[in-house]
Amino acid sequence: MDSARQALRLLRAYGLRSVLTLFGLVWGTASVVFLVGWGESLEEVVDRGFEKAGRDLGQLSAGTIGEEFTPSTDRRQLLISWQDVAAIRRQARLARAVGAETRRYLPVTAGSLSFHREVRGVEPEGLRIRAIPVAQGRTIRPGDVGERRPVAVLGFEVAEDLYGARPAVGRRLRIDGRFFEVVGRLERMGAQFGQDGEPIDDQIWIPITTHFASWPTPGTEPNAVSTVLYRLSRSSAVDATEDELRRLLAERLGVDPKDEEAIVGWSASRTLAQIPLGELRGILALLSVTTLAISGIGVLNLMLDTVRQRRREIGLRLAVGARPLDVVVQFLIETATIVALGGLLGIAIALALILAFAAVDLPEIIPVPRVSVPAIALALGVMSAVGLIAGGIPALRAARVDPASTLRSDG
Amino acid sequence: MGVGEAANAILDLEGVHKHYQTDRVDVHALRGVDLRIATGDYLSIMGPSGSGKTTMLEILGLLSPASAGTVRFQGRPTSGLDVTALAHIRSQEIGFVFQAFNLLPRLSAVENVELPLVYQRSGGGPGGRRSRRDRKERAIEALRRVGLESRAGHLPGEMSGGERQRVAVARALVNDPAVILADEPTGNLDSKTGEEVLSLFDALHEQGGTLVVVTHDERVGARAARTVSVRDGVIERDD
Repeated sequence: MDSARQALRLLRAYGLRSVLTLFGLVWGTASVVFLVGWGESLEEVVDRGFEKAGRDLGQLSAGTIGEEFTPSTDRRQLLISWQDVAAIRRQARLARAVGAETRRYLPVTAGSLSFHREVRGVEPEGLRIRAIPVAQGRTIRPGDVGERRPVAVLGFEVAEDLYGARPAVGRRLRIDGRFFEVVGRLERMGAQFGQDGEPIDDQIWIPITTHFASWPTPGTEPNAVSTVLYRLSRSSAVDATEDELRRLLAERLGVDPKDEEAIVGWSASRTLAQIPLGELRGILALLSVTTLAISGIGVLNLMLDTVRQRRREIGLRLAVGARPLDVVVQFLIETATIVALGGLLGIAIALALILAFAAVDLPEIIPVPRVSVPAIALALGVMSAVGLIAGGIPALRAARVDPASTLRSDG
Repeated sequence: MGVGEAANAILDLEGVHKHYQTDRVDVHALRGVDLRIATGDYLSIMGPSGSGKTTMLEILGLLSPASAGTVRFQGRPTSGLDVTALAHIRSQEIGFVFQAFNLLPRLSAVENVELPLVYQRSGGGPGGRRSRRDRKERAIEALRRVGLESRAGHLPGEMSGGERQRVAVARALVNDPAVILADEPTGNLDSKTGEEVLSLFDALHEQGGTLVVVTHDERVGARAARTVSVRDGVIERDD
């Protein structure tokens, strides 16, 4: 207790220097708690994003033949037809479902409002793969596709932009001059990872056949799809499933299945595995811990200085019966008090900041740092180590003061 | 020397030498000192600067080991004791009065007086420590003995030089030591306040206390029952 009081006196005596030292500790611990907490929620945000996009979702699309494959002189854009997709669907054994989508950026008009949006031609097979819940009305049905009906399902934001809070179902809008009836509105999806094109919230869905008929692909293949979607079955590995689909598709397009420029593949699970989240968290932790450790140098300096200035006091204490261990303990407690003061303040500030972040309405894609028990434990652990080193060295130095020096202080 | 005589001695130096190494110069500060301090002695050690009297006090106070010779405290040789054991003897049996008061400026008078008790390990409390209350009571009692009970809560900066030195004497008394060692106790005081401290020493001596005072102040020498003169690291006179 006396040593703790002495620590507070010491801080008062050092004025600005104490403030800077404490600031280092506050900054250090706050950054550990904040950044490590942030890293944790970053991981969760990514995870959630993939969950929504579909963790077992995969896509294939056509590109151009790669240079090391024949005929490499053929630079034309390869096209996958709807018929190709239907054929693959019949032949594929490993994928749980296969579907097609086609998309185009088109002007959309409703009343006096007009803007461009991504309009997707979809089919029920593809929608089952995406599994996006409908908020109002219905989704695109087999009958819509079979009869090429002019119906549209709006993404959450599109409906919001066009109609605000009013119901969207039953309204009519024009896409590139053609009339469509709104039959459904999707749930808000928020941040997603790995999707192609615009976020689903900003898309308009129409039957794929209506899409082909209204905006046929120029050239020989009017029914070209943009994307082949597939869903992994629970038992099959992503690589084997993609390999099978790639082989079937390559056969139909007349390209080499190994040509990754001709057939471009993407899968959520593989992308997720490639994001170095662990490393990212490690870097955040390392950066913040380093900051905290560096702040320890300030404490070390302060304590070394106070030991230098208090040699007389230390000598006196030793002369009147303090054991060297008593002196070591005294300076360790003084250091611990200073470190605890700065460190706990830092943790409190970080927690307050985290709560403040949570209260602000941030875009979903920005991770909100969370109160992380491991982060606090890490901060406390590093703080203790800092205290032990920054206090230990000066304390040992203090214990070596010669008690006989009390008799010689005036020469 | 008889057995009874040795047992009666609090401090006993026999053939003590002390070497210092300062700036690559070897200082031979004590060159064979024999000195016995018995219970109830009031001894002054006198000598010019550099004579070795302060070194002698260091050795008597167990603050520094002898380079050669034997130092016995209450009949037991101290040469084999480690720093902790020596600290224990100092906290239990020795009271120090330093030249420049040597009070901690941020502690009140009573807190300064308490200091030796903080480090005592035989107070009966947990780990042998004295309770805060017991320390406070003893410190107040020591202040009463030097007539400063009413100044207990004052900081050293708020006191006169004489008062500060009396606080320092109270600190030397507080652990009820077998011997009080004083280093130039009147060195920083004018003659009037110096007299106050010397009267205090007289009183302690009359109550049976053992005092060793290092000084070059003739008045102190005149008050002590026994005066030891030191010159060039040896005892010149002892009477």
